[in-house]
Amino acid sequence: MVVQKAKRTAPARPARWSRYSGRTFYLFVSPWVLGFLLLTAVPLGYAFAISLTNFDGSSSLWRWVGLSNYRELMRDSDAWASLARTLAYTALVVPLSVAISLGLAVLLNRRLRAVGLFRTIFFLPSVVPIVATAIMWKLVFNRDSGLLNAILERLGLGAVTWLVDPTAFYALIILTLWGLGTGMVIMLAALQGVPIELEEAAVVDGAGRWRVFRHVTLPMISPVLFFQVVTGVIMSFQVLVQPLLLAETNSIGAVTNVPPSTHLYMVQVYQEYFANQRFGYGSAMLWVFFVIILVSTLLVQRSSRFWVYYEVDRDQND
Amino acid sequence: MTDRRLGAGRTYLLLMVLAVFFAGPLAWLVLAALKEQSEWVAIPIHFLPEAPQWSNFTDAVTQINFLAYTGNSLFLSGTYAVLVTFSSAAVGFGFARLKGRGKRPLFAVLLSTMMLPSILTLIPTYVLYSRLGLVNTYWPWVLWGLAASPYLVFLFRQFFAAIPKDFEDAAIIDGCGYGRIFWRIFLPLSKPVLLTSLLLSFTWMWGDYLAPALLLDIDHTTLSVAITQSYRNPHGDYIPTVQAAAATLYVVPVMLIFLFAQRYFVRSVVSSGVKG
Repeated sequence: MVVQKAKRTAPARPARWSRYSGRTFYLFVSPWVLGFLLLTAVPLGYAFAISLTNFDGSSSLWRWVGLSNYRELMRDSDAWASLARTLAYTALVVPLSVAISLGLAVLLNRRLRAVGLFRTIFFLPSVVPIVATAIMWKLVFNRDSGLLNAILERLGLGAVTWLVDPTAFYALIILTLWGLGTGMVIMLAALQGVPIELEEAAVVDGAGRWRVFRHVTLPMISPVLFFQVVTGVIMSFQVLVQPLLLAETNSIGAVTNVPPSTHLYMVQVYQEYFANQRFGYGSAMLWVFFVIILVSTLLVQRSSRFWVYYEVDRDQND
Repeated sequence: MTDRRLGAGRTYLLLMVLAVFFAGPLAWLVLAALKEQSEWVAIPIHFLPEAPQWSNFTDAVTQINFLAYTGNSLFLSGTYAVLVTFSSAAVGFGFARLKGRGKRPLFAVLLSTMMLPSILTLIPTYVLYSRLGLVNTYWPWVLWGLAASPYLVFLFRQFFAAIPKDFEDAAIIDGCGYGRIFWRIFLPLSKPVLLTSLLLSFTWMWGDYLAPALLLDIDHTTLSVAITQSYRNPHGDYIPTVQAAAATLYVVPVMLIFLFAQRYFVRSVVSSGVKG
């Protein structure tokens, strides 16, 4: 029901009121502002401070070492190799998961019986806690008792030792793709938000199904795809727990069992901190990574104008 | 017409194959939890257990202090969920309905912190907290709860921004301050969002591994850490069937929450991902 507004204006608000409103704004947002400063900015700054020292985590005998941690990092071939692996992992996982979740969304966007059941099944893994995910995939990938090798066996194929190199890398990718339900639900909503008239108009103009999808649907949902790419890149840069739990590492610091192919950058950081007790060096690695993430996010953002279509009114709800 | 029916048939076949991929690992976990240890290592590999071994579940809850870890997980996730929901609602209200200098840049900072990988701050936080004596306490979770979550702030802000202005104008005429407008008018209106926020933040913390692994020792830690570090035989090897039983018990609450409240999860995912 739309009530035509009579000439009833909002109550006149004197200067005193707007001062009150301004103060209240800060009061209301203060939990986040304080939290951001104390729980995000302070730890980041603290990490920068330790990155200039040779702090080992416990002893009080530390000293300032200037930028020598950073200089060492430049020459650290292990760190660069782990960064390269992280980039390779990201370059595989992000396009794959965006493409597959889009494909699933298209599949589920059709009027089919029981489509809701399939949506639930596909979405479910994305809420399974990381620990349970790792435990169950370890059982699936198990060489002698795993589901995957059981299937291969029935097909007359040989068993594969999945969780060592070189297959461990692909096992990690499969585990990641298993949890793409969130992206799928987002894309499904995006597809349902595309005005049906646009697609119908294209059909009337003689476009086939593929061309409607390519030239109408895809541009319309490109902002959502873009958002998925950005968050996907950031998420896959920071992967740490999955490689740790898939390998038989069971206590903090024991990262020696992580197979080289899943020894990603954050695993390397973790190892420097907790296995080698090099808190200063690990912090330098974190800060370099922070800058790398910042720069790559900006680059993706920059690239957006070449392939993302925004409707005129970008920030209408402000 | 037949062509179309054929197409639907093929689609269903594809959906079935995909369903096996997504549900298979979960099913395998439960099957492993029901197998006897000797059956788990049998050659050739058995798909189904011959007789379900419920004793794996009793072993899972008796070999470690399962109840205590569950209590820790519940307490930690519950405390965090309640605190972060109310703090995020307040911050969301501020950004949606109040004016103040610097609001736009502040909101931009908030949105960009959504992009900041939490892992970057977690390890330094651990170092800092171990020096402040906050390790092995639950204070870090209280602090994280009080500090609001940018993701949930965004969720609340979107909801509050859509409420007609007449609501607060009427209340202001009646002499209400913003505190009471928030508490008496906006919060009661936002029950679905409150519920979404509670469910989401609870499952985040229930599923979190790294923070409890770093900040809590084995006596104070959560179920997620405990089940990864326990269930070994005297040689130090994992007993996979018992660990599978423990992991099953650990995911069941999350599954139930998800199945009963799927629309709330969908809502939160959609409003952040599509409008974001």
